[in-house]
Amino acid sequence: MPTLIFPIPRWESSLTLFCLIMAAAIVVCAGALAYFRHVRIERPPVGTFNGRDIVILLIAIGILPFVYGWLPDTVVTCLLAVTFSSALYIGYQHLLGSLWFWVAAGLLFGFNIWSSNHVMGTIAGWQLWYAEQSILVALGAIAVCNLYVQGGMKLRHVGWLALGLACYDIIFASYYPLTGELLARYITHPFIPVMGMRFGEVDYVVGLGDLLVYSLFFVACYKAYGKRAAAIAACVITVMGGFATAFLPFLFNLENANLDTLVPAQSLFGPAAFLTYLWMKRHYGRERTMAEYLASRGGEAVAPRVEQVAAPEPVST
Amino acid sequence: MFETGVRQFRMAWSMVQGRRLNPGNIARLVDDALATLAEFGELGTDADELVEGPMANSADRAEIVNNSLRRTARRLAAQSPFYARRFTSADADLAKLDVAGLRTIPVTVRADLIERPEDFRCTDVPAYLATRTTGTTGRPAEVWLSRYEMELWPAIGALASVLRRELLPGDVMQVNLSSRSTMAVHLPAAGCRMIGAGYRPLGIVPPEAALDGLVEGGATVLLTVPSYLAELVTAARRFGLGAGDFRLRRLVAGGEVLSGSLARAAARTFGVPVIEDPYSATEIVPVSARACRQGHLHHDLNVGLTELVDLDTGEPAAPGALGTLVITPYFPYRDCMPVFRYDTRDVARRLPEGQLRCELAAIPATSHIEGKANQLLQIPGGEIVTPRQLVEAIEALPSEPWPARYRACVAEGTGRIRLTLPASAIAGYGEAETRRHFAAAGLDTDLDIVGDDQAAALRHTRSDLHETTFASQHAFVGA
Repeated sequence: MPTLIFPIPRWESSLTLFCLIMAAAIVVCAGALAYFRHVRIERPPVGTFNGRDIVILLIAIGILPFVYGWLPDTVVTCLLAVTFSSALYIGYQHLLGSLWFWVAAGLLFGFNIWSSNHVMGTIAGWQLWYAEQSILVALGAIAVCNLYVQGGMKLRHVGWLALGLACYDIIFASYYPLTGELLARYITHPFIPVMGMRFGEVDYVVGLGDLLVYSLFFVACYKAYGKRAAAIAACVITVMGGFATAFLPFLFNLENANLDTLVPAQSLFGPAAFLTYLWMKRHYGRERTMAEYLASRGGEAVAPRVEQVAAPEPVST
Repeated sequence: MFETGVRQFRMAWSMVQGRRLNPGNIARLVDDALATLAEFGELGTDADELVEGPMANSADRAEIVNNSLRRTARRLAAQSPFYARRFTSADADLAKLDVAGLRTIPVTVRADLIERPEDFRCTDVPAYLATRTTGTTGRPAEVWLSRYEMELWPAIGALASVLRRELLPGDVMQVNLSSRSTMAVHLPAAGCRMIGAGYRPLGIVPPEAALDGLVEGGATVLLTVPSYLAELVTAARRFGLGAGDFRLRRLVAGGEVLSGSLARAAARTFGVPVIEDPYSATEIVPVSARACRQGHLHHDLNVGLTELVDLDTGEPAAPGALGTLVITPYFPYRDCMPVFRYDTRDVARRLPEGQLRCELAAIPATSHIEGKANQLLQIPGGEIVTPRQLVEAIEALPSEPWPARYRACVAEGTGRIRLTLPASAIAGYGEAETRRHFAAAGLDTDLDIVGDDQAAALRHTRSDLHETTFASQHAFVGA
């Protein structure tokens, strides 16, 4: 039986992955929170997130991998470009103005496409590509997180979404490894939705979907119950989204010699996030609405005009 | 949020395609709007556009109007016996029909509707509910409505009310209209049910009973007619009630001329910032109009076309001139017993040319309704005195004779206005002072004073349709 030879010790690999996940999660979560606190995103005249929207999201997430697997590479790249440009447009066009937004987006997208085809012959080239890719993905995650939370997504919705994604991750990472196959197929293509870095011969990446759920959970906790709840959310993300995800392969010897085994992060984080939501609901009571959150900050607030149950006092502001 | 987008698209698609709208879809949009207000406290970007519809954009207006007219006319030619004959006799090319060519089609008058109501019924729609005009200006007309209409209009009304925050959960709407005003009573009931607001239909009961509902019952929205509002103001003052005793946040009084003096007194008494004075009529429902704070009447263009037609020539009224409102509700907003170019004989004045500067400036407007065409007084020399001018002047008398009871005609020979008033209207003021009061209002009048017992016979108002109760005696107030 051949002996597996690992390029670096497993614990070092897990530790590096943990650091990368945490770095990415901190950038996205902190960015999303800062955006949430200081920028009001435009929303449609009528409409707020509800349970059926979560079902629609989960169905779309379940179908998309098959669509991506079926479509030619060029079409997938075009779809991803449209998706990213839409997300960035919603999040940043009103901050930069149309001209500067399209200049910035053009440079970002252009460099992404160019670097995907020209700089990957060296470690430094990979690192440059990953860095640029990560900026694009982080900006996209921050924008979409705020689109959802400022659009009325509640912690309840995030909890159920995370639980649904846990099932999805188990199915598509373990039993039907479509996610891994897609990652292997598109890893060098432009707009691949991951944040990552190459250290030596090994690539360490965390998916946009994972980061989006972490940031949604973090910001939704903050919106619903205040700073203390956000701190609890940060702990859950660190332990279940970062530590457990990074060290599970090390503890249970899941990796192969190429270290490219996909870890179904949401299968660990999803149940934890859902249980945390249940605990917070029991402990803190009803979530604040966006109107109540804004009222708690003063100034920009608009009092709710529809009679409802008395608003809870924020745990902290 | 995603499904709200789909619902809005479905509604917009039906409107653009001219197909029947799904009332259930609109009712769910009402829920979405309520959820939006509950979450955010306000609607999102471009809410005004959603409320006012595409017609608020003048660039899109002409094409939408022409398409709507052609669609409506085509259906009527196929389904309405009356209009099949009318279009044929007018030799109208319905495929090319537009606003400019509309004048070739004669207006429909009330007599047509009264004499041949069955000819107006579309053959492809089963009738569900009959409603009648109150008949204060003559023999009542009966209008049949379909189940679709009775589901659609409350849904559209409820959606507009929520988007404008005119009616919200927790509100209690009290309706003091004649209980026989089937549609005016049924539509708000269905709208309140969709929104989750309370609904109290009381009818034209003794004012004391209505005040009980306002004070003890905690009504926040009152829907009534100006003449009954006058009775309520008088009764409230008699009982020493003031703004602090009421929870009203909206007071809507339409269907008759509302004078400025009565509106100001009602606003003070009931503690509301303004008395809303909308326009609508049974025959042309669901087309309506809203009054802005500058006193214009802005006509809803999304569900029907409103023309202001010169009373003599039938051509569009000139700026500053009086005209009668001729209204065409569009399909698919009206489908059972529609009318096309219905001459309401409600007279308004065309506003001078120029840009409006009110809060509803994007929506075309006329003046307030000046009264019915057959009640205009033609003074020798060409001047016309409208019922509104008379009501404004009478209700501004120091005796506050609300609602105004009068009879007016132009005296032969002198050419002056001969005005008959009840004695109580000039009580403590005297005939000479009263004549000076009218002269200051631009009305050269001779007065005839009659006993108060004849007051109600001088001019019928909707509040005369009193409904008695076992709990209290029938009582007239303010006459």
